[in-house]
This record gives sequence, C-alpha cells and structure tokens, in this order.
Amino acid sequence: MIVFSWYRGSNEKWLDAYKDPVASLYTLTQCITLSDVQADGDWKLIIADLGTGTFDMKLKVYKGTNLMSENTIIDLPTGVETFYMDTHEPRTPAIAVASGPYIYVYKNLRPYFKFTLPTLEVNPVEADLWNQVKEEKINIFVLREMLEGMRAEGTVLTVRSLRFLQLQDITDCEAFANLYRFTPLRRQTVITSLATLKKSHADEDAISCLVLGTESKSVYVLDPEAFTVLTTMELPSVPVFLSVTGLFDVEYRIVVACRNGCIYTLKRGTTVTTKNCIELNSQPVGLQRINKTIYVGTMDEALHCYTSKGKKLWTVKLPASMTTMEIIDYKPKGFKAVIVALSNCNVHIYKEKYLVNIIKTDDVVTGLKFGRFGREDGTLIMTLRAMHRTFQRDLYLLRLNTAREYVKSLENRMNPISSDPQEPLKLNATVQGIGPMFKLTVNLQNTSLSNPSTNLLITFQYDDKLYAFKNSFIEVPMLVPGLNYAFETYVECQSDKGISDNVKVYILRQGKSIPIITGIISMPCTDVEPIANVKKKNQDDF
Amino acid sequence: MFLFEYTQVTSSNNMADVVQDKQQVDVFEEIPNADPLPQQDPVPIPNITGPPKPKPKKAPELPIFERRNWLIHLHYVRKEYDKCKSIIKEQLAESGGMCEYAVYVQALILRQEGRIQESLELFQTCTLLNPQSADNLKQVARSLFLLARHKAAIDVYNEAAKLHDRDWEVAHNQGVCYMYQRDYKKAKECISQALSYKRHEISFVMLGKINLMEGNIEAAIDIYKQAVEYSPENPDMLTTLGLLYMQVGQFQKAFENLGNAMTYDPTHVKAIMSAGSMMQTHGDFDVALNKYRIAAVATPESPPLWNNIGMAFFGKKKYVAAISCLKRANYLAPFDWKILYNLGLVHLTMQQYASSFHFLSAAINLRPKMAQLFMLLGVALTHLEDPDNARQAYEQAVTLDQKDPIISLNCAVFTFNSGDKKGALQHFKEFESRLRTMKGANPNSGDPEMHDTASRLGAALQVGENLLWQDQGAQKAKKELPEPTPPVPPPFIPPPRGADQNENEIFEHPPPAPPSYDIPRPTTTSQVNIPTDRDQMATPIIPPYDPYEEDHSTSRMSYDVPTPASQRTHRVVVRREARTPVQGCL
Repeated sequence: MIVFSWYRGSNEKWLDAYKDPVASLYTLTQCITLSDVQADGDWKLIIADLGTGTFDMKLKVYKGTNLMSENTIIDLPTGVETFYMDTHEPRTPAIAVASGPYIYVYKNLRPYFKFTLPTLEVNPVEADLWNQVKEEKINIFVLREMLEGMRAEGTVLTVRSLRFLQLQDITDCEAFANLYRFTPLRRQTVITSLATLKKSHADEDAISCLVLGTESKSVYVLDPEAFTVLTTMELPSVPVFLSVTGLFDVEYRIVVACRNGCIYTLKRGTTVTTKNCIELNSQPVGLQRINKTIYVGTMDEALHCYTSKGKKLWTVKLPASMTTMEIIDYKPKGFKAVIVALSNCNVHIYKEKYLVNIIKTDDVVTGLKFGRFGREDGTLIMTLRAMHRTFQRDLYLLRLNTAREYVKSLENRMNPISSDPQEPLKLNATVQGIGPMFKLTVNLQNTSLSNPSTNLLITFQYDDKLYAFKNSFIEVPMLVPGLNYAFETYVECQSDKGISDNVKVYILRQGKSIPIITGIISMPCTDVEPIANVKKKNQDDF
Repeated sequence: MFLFEYTQVTSSNNMADVVQDKQQVDVFEEIPNADPLPQQDPVPIPNITGPPKPKPKKAPELPIFERRNWLIHLHYVRKEYDKCKSIIKEQLAESGGMCEYAVYVQALILRQEGRIQESLELFQTCTLLNPQSADNLKQVARSLFLLARHKAAIDVYNEAAKLHDRDWEVAHNQGVCYMYQRDYKKAKECISQALSYKRHEISFVMLGKINLMEGNIEAAIDIYKQAVEYSPENPDMLTTLGLLYMQVGQFQKAFENLGNAMTYDPTHVKAIMSAGSMMQTHGDFDVALNKYRIAAVATPESPPLWNNIGMAFFGKKKYVAAISCLKRANYLAPFDWKILYNLGLVHLTMQQYASSFHFLSAAINLRPKMAQLFMLLGVALTHLEDPDNARQAYEQAVTLDQKDPIISLNCAVFTFNSGDKKGALQHFKEFESRLRTMKGANPNSGDPEMHDTASRLGAALQVGENLLWQDQGAQKAKKELPEPTPPVPPPFIPPPRGADQNENEIFEHPPPAPPSYDIPRPTTTSQVNIPTDRDQMATPIIPPYDPYEEDHSTSRMSYDVPTPASQRTHRVVVRREARTPVQGCL
C-alpha cells in the first residue's frame, strides 16, 4: 500500500507520504474508501481485504498509518461504501460492506446489522415438488426425475435442486432431501457492485441510499433508514461497475457497465434501458464520470470518453493494459481528472484526453482511491498487487535455500560439529604466528557423556604449492569424553606474493573415506617476507 | 467468523423499523459455526429473549454457484489470468462444473492462449448449461470463425440472432464470415445492417475493405468519410481515407486527412510515411526527414521507412547518407525490388556503375517485366563500356513498355552515340509520338530536363525545330548551347507514369483465399503525376490500400490479442526515385 499526498507549488506533483510494503492486502478499487467514520475530522482509510481469496477476509480501518480496527468478514467482500443513514449528531457515517447476498452495516466500527437481498422467485413447480417431499407425498426418485426434466427444459432451478441433481449415490440423495426438506426453498443471488446515492439533499453529509447491482441482472436502491427496497431496475446483463449521480427524490442517473460490454444509463422512472446504450468494442475495466462525460477504460488498452447521451468524444490509446481507474476531484483547485493504473507499473493521470502526470510504482496497482485522508485534502491511495506476496515468496525461498545448504553440509560432513550420534565430536582450529611459519592447532573434543572415541585420524587438504605442512597426518589417541585435546603442526607459507588460501581439516575414522567432520581454516597472509628474500633484496640494494 | 446478531445501539430510534421489516432484514439469522463477537461490546445487547432454545439441526446454507462470478470477471478484465484460473478452478470444484460463467471465462482465457479448439468445446458446454443465452452462441460462432469454419459460424450466428435480434455483433461478424467466403454482396448487406443497429468504427472499416476488394474505391471513400464523421479523431481511419484520396489523385484532401491523423497521433507511423512521401514529392526533404525521425523511433526496422529516408537524402544530394540508408533498407528487405532500383539509381548518380549494375540486375531478377529497370541497366552498361549488352537492354526496355517516352529518348541517345543516326532518328520519332500521347492525357506532364535533352538531341539529329513539346525555356537553353556538338551529356528522366494505371495495378493481384490472409502481400505500385514546375526529383509510389491488413472482426465479449507491432505489416510506401543520371556523350 502506498499513500501519496498532493503536493502544492512545485514541479513534483506528489509527495510520497507513506509506504507499507508488508500491508499484505488483496483488495480492489471498489473495496477501498475514505471517510470520516468517527466524525472527528480525521478521515480514515477503510479497506475490505479479500484475504487469501477463500478465508481471512477482513474489514480494516486505518487511522493515518496505523491499523485502527479490524473486523472479520465471512465471505468475499464485493465493495465498501460509507454513507449517512440518519441525521443524528455527531454525524458518523455507517460503513456498508457488500458480500455475497448480504450487506453488512457497521456503525462506530462495530457490526450493526445485516441486510439480505430479496430472494428471487422460485419456479412454482419446483417449489411444489419440494413441498411434496416435505409432506412425504413423493419419494426422491420421483423428485429427481421431475427436476431433471425441468433442467433439461432450461428452467432456472434453485441451488438446492442443482446440488441434489449432482449427487450420485441414492443414500446421499436421501440424506440431502431429509436435511433440507424443512427449510424453506429460496433462490438467492449475490451482489456484484455497490454505490451510494444521496436521498433528498445534496449536502456532503446528507442521507444516502445504497445502490446495488446483483448477479440477477438487477439494480436495487435501498432506503437507508428502513432498509427497504425503494426501486428495482432490470438490466439486460449483469452489472459490473456503477456510477451514480443526482438525488433519489429529485432526479438521478445510474450509469452501469455490464458484463456484455455495454454501458446503460438508468434514470428515475426508466423502463427502457437500451436507450443511450453504449456498446463497447471490448470489456470495460473501469467506469468513471466527470460532470456529464463518461470515462471508460477497456481491455483493448484504450480509454474512451462518451457524452451522457452515448456519443463518443475521443479515445486515447494506453501504452499497456489497464488494471483499474479512479477519479481525482481536488476541490481546492477545482481539478478533475482520471487516474488510470496500467499493467506496466505506471499510473497515468489524464485531464480530459491529455496525459498530465505519470507515477511509477514498484508493482502493478490493483486498487486506487483519491480523496481526503487524515487532514490532507488530496491523497492518493494505491494498493499494489504482489508486494506482500513477493516478499513472502522471497522469504520462503531464503528459508528453503538455507535449509538446502544445511542439508548439503550435513550430507558432506562439512560442519565442524559431528552430526553422527556415533561420533560426537567438536572441532575447532586456530592459527598462530605472523608467517611465513604458522602454528596450526586443532582442538578436538569428544562431546559424548560416556563413550570414548578411538581410531581417529587428522589430515589436511591444502595447496602444496602454497603451503608445506610439517606434519600433515596426525594419529589421534583415544579421546576421553569432555576433555579438550590440542594437536599442533607447523605450516610454512611458500609464497612471497602475500597470498593465502583455505586449508581443510578432516577428522577421519580409520578405514573410512568419508570424513566425520570437516573444518575450513582461512589462512592469514604472511606479514613478513622470508629471510632469504630480504637478504637477496639487501644485496641488490648494495 | 463472528455472529452477526442484531446489536441495538441505544442512540438509534430507527431500529424498531428495522426489526419490523423481517422480510428484508435477517435480524436474528444465525450463521453456523459462528464465534462470539470478537470484541467486547460496551453497548448492551438486548432483545434476545431468554436463552436460545435448542433448535432442530439446521441445514447448512448452500452457497449459490454464481457467488464468485464478479471476482472472476474483475480478474479477467484486468488480464490477471493466473489468478482468474485458480478462482475458476475452485468455483467449478465447488459447483461441480455447473457454474456457467466460470466455464465461459475459462473458455475465453483458453482462446486467448490460442487453444481455440478447447475453447470451442467449453463454449459448447456453456450452451448446454444455458441454451437460452445468445452470448454463448456468439462465442461458439466466434471460435468457429477463428477455426476458419465460416459456414458453420454463420449458421450459429443465425441461431444467436433468433435469441437476440437487432444485435450489432451478430450482424457484423456474419458479414465478416461472408467476406471470407467471398460473398461480398451478402457481406455488405450484413455489415450495413449491423451499422443500422449500432454504429461501430470496425463495421465501417470492414465495409470499406469489402468495397476495396471489389475494386470500388469511390464507394470505399464514401464509407470512410462516414466513419470519420462518426469518429473524427481516429488516426487509423483518417490515414486510410487519406491514402484512398491519394489513390484517386485528390492530393489536397489526402494531405488534409493525413495531417489530421498526425494531429491526433503525432507518432502514427502509417500517416507519417504517407505524408512524408507526399512531402518528398514536393521537394520538402527536410520536413519529410523530420517526420521520418518520429517514425524511426516507433519502427526502427521498417524497410520502406529507410528507403524513404535514403531517397530524401538523395534529394538533398547527400549521396553517402542516401546509400547507407538504402543499404540498411536492403538489408532489412533483401527482396524488395524498389529498394534495389533506388540503390541502382543512386550508384548511377555517384558514377559507380559496377555497383549500380549489380543492384539493377538483382532488381531485374525480381521484376523481369519492368522496362525502366532495363533502361537503367542500359545506362549502366553503356558506362561500363559494354555496348552490345547495353543495346540488348534498351531493346528489351522498348519492347516491354509502349508508353514511356523517356525509354525511347534514352534509346535514341544511345543509338546516336554509337553512331547509328538512322536508328536514333527512328527512336526519336517514337519518343515524339509517345510524348504527344502523354501530353494529350496530361498537358502538364514531362520534365524540363527531358525537354532539354530532347531538344539537344533533336538539334543533333537536325529535326524537331518546332516540336510541340518545346517550350520557351528549352529553346533558350538550346540557343545558348554551341551547335552542333552539345558537350554536356543529356540527362534523362525516368517516367512519371500515368495515374490512370493505379486502379489496374492495385488489383492486379487477385485477393488471396480467406484463410491465408496473412500471406505477404504483393507489392503493388502506383505512381502519380504531380504537375510541378521544379525539377522533379522524385516520384512517389503511393501505398496501395491493403485489404488484408488485419483481422478486423471483433467480439465485444472477448479481447483479442493485438498483433505485436513487429509483426504488423506496414503499408509499403516506397518511393521510386525518378531522376536518371547522365547518358553517354553525343
């Protein structure tokens, strides 16, 4: 997560305010919002985190750079919005989290209540069938046969019937029917997008309705106080992005980008959605509105601009494919622009069709939000895709590599402490002297409690052009447990070039070629020249 | 997880309303395996009447199959295919393969990865899961189309049209299928219908293309005019319109459109190339070079671009630069005869006749029917002192081309120089008659240099004192020259060929069969005659419109990977240099 602040009066447009590479967020633009949820003038950042995508979903509220509160969400969050649902003082907005078929409303950062989408109409035949099962008028074979027939005809069935048809085993079928026959049959749908719409006043803290798009190709407008459905509007396809303006009680526009690649405009009292419909050439990736123009980013790497009537104004080719877009509405300067996050790790800002600024990020931006944060009016929040995952993966790799190296060293007996329980030995070597003659001391200790070690040998591996060992093979006497034995040998460095090399010490058992332990000694450089050389040099000088 | 129980906040008076509305609000709904509230609630939790009664074992809630469709869709449009595939996998496992949208997106991703057959099978699964969906059928048809099974695709589109009438996509794609089946009439019908449902740039482009394939440039221009009206800022369409205007000789309009294209996209390579070649024609070499500089950033390995840069340098008389640019072009496209022609010409100017001969003979191998090449070869051979072969080359040139006066003129000069006055006179007469025909077609054609040479030769042959082509300037020049031995060798100008040849030439190669639309296109040439007073340095070859450039059919539901820039074929805008150097002494 990166927070940028609007920066005034310099060529640099943004001030890098805060960066948290391990925020570990998996979120989308629609799951980020900024709001003064405590009515203290300090705006908070509210993020619904999708967790791993299956569990660990959380609603996180950041105050400044600190995580202030964290609430678990049961299912994947689809969107987060804040809205004023009453006129009480202090003016604290509620947080609405859409998730599955529910909207969870939080007030004062606490769970407040849950709204469930109205259920869809169940096919009467299907309902009747399950009723008969409940009254045990028909058995499961009849039920199965009938349901299969209905599915073949293309009837939309409930999840219960579909699940039932998937079961292969008769006992499973029976158990399933018995388990479910007493619960009422319902056909649910899920929320796909969430937005807010001011009810009757345009003030910043006026009461707002929630606008929901659902998988059943409908748009609902909810009353904020009673949580009843005020309006339902049907669409030809599933809504993906919503952009809402206006007042519910006066006049409003809901611009909806749908999964069929079309953008529809819904008005107060509209029934025909296909009027002013915009058919795009490619799937929309983001939808925003500035005044009366509609900005759409599409999958074919383009940013289009349309009038509210659906006439195309212009198209800008983007250098890479888009991941998300957001609007900048910086009121102090009256600046309105569109921010587009691209897959090449750049974030472009377009004022109308002109590219005015580029922000480079370390990774692909998945979520963008511009607005007031803390006490700063112009803040841009960006969540990056893989930051946390990359970090974690690297950490795992580091651990894995460490473990591999350790295993390798164990296998090669490269470590100074024996891993073999039969030969509990500890090795430690020291080098004394300033050269060219060194004294090498090998300390051996039997670390077992009671067993003495016998038949051990010490030998060295070295570069014989560089070093001469006085004694390169030492027979070790019996090692009494716990005592430290020192074995010495002299090493002469044969080079006068001031170079040094590693020398390896092997502790071997007689008759075995694999060493029990290995020690690597980094030999020091010779500080003094050999006397012979000094003599020769002196002669030369004369 | 925690229990979402109704926690009444004391300050809220509205809660009573909420509680009453049990239809909508699951006030007491219990979530299985719910943990108690994670935090200590300072607000008392009231209204739970007594301890919860032991209920009969409640059946677990069944999650609906479509619950993650929105997430699949969002990852899909962001092209995060890996993430998308893993969610689809989970979702299909959860729903036992019954989640239609997950299968659908999986098929789209497979298509994107080029596994079209597999994607077709998955789309067919989708139609089984939901036979009422026109989208599924459209995708099946699209896959069939990509597998070049156009007939099957048309049938499936017909099915889709039954489910969803007045669909632009269906009509458009059907038209494209007909186009590849070479049923242009039906194709045009379908696409016009698509345009009546909804106006899309791509439909205009396809319609224009079909008209061009039928050889109807005027109709194509009309279509593109409409398209540009609908989408005034699309540089591709503006450029195409400009090129079409160029083909019909309306250079003012062509330049306007190309200029507009460059206003909206200053780095539009195609527009730069076309406009640059026009500027070169008018001798604005510096401006043209500036434009090419922009294009060179975008397409540093384009042979036509380097060819044009080379010829711009040639126009500025920077011969070494010209040769190095042309050699680069030749390196990038060793079999492009136009580049070889230009190289031969530049070397001829540099008086490096052996090199010139080498390039010209290479060009002749690639284009054995090109009279101008033989003529240049004749010039080179003359200088290499091989009169026998030079004569043969000239003879070949004269027989290959019946229209070009310059070939006859050069031939006459050669014959004259070799001492055959009679033969020279014959060729000179041939030249005069050819020139007359040319002047009849276009009174402004011809070149002062050519006139100059002809007048001197005429004087040497003692004919043509009052020839019709002789203008004032030529006469003046003639007077200045000491008769009868013009010491300066007469220069020759190769032909600006008639614009009327364009149409024939553009479509001289029949369009290849539909599946092979990506085969290298034939290089077509078309030259224009530009009336100009100045020394005509160059005659451009206007890029022919290419009907097989890209597959322009679309599916709005899927995103087709665009061709990478390096694979895109660029319009060949090759200029053929028009100045011929010196011929031997009289």
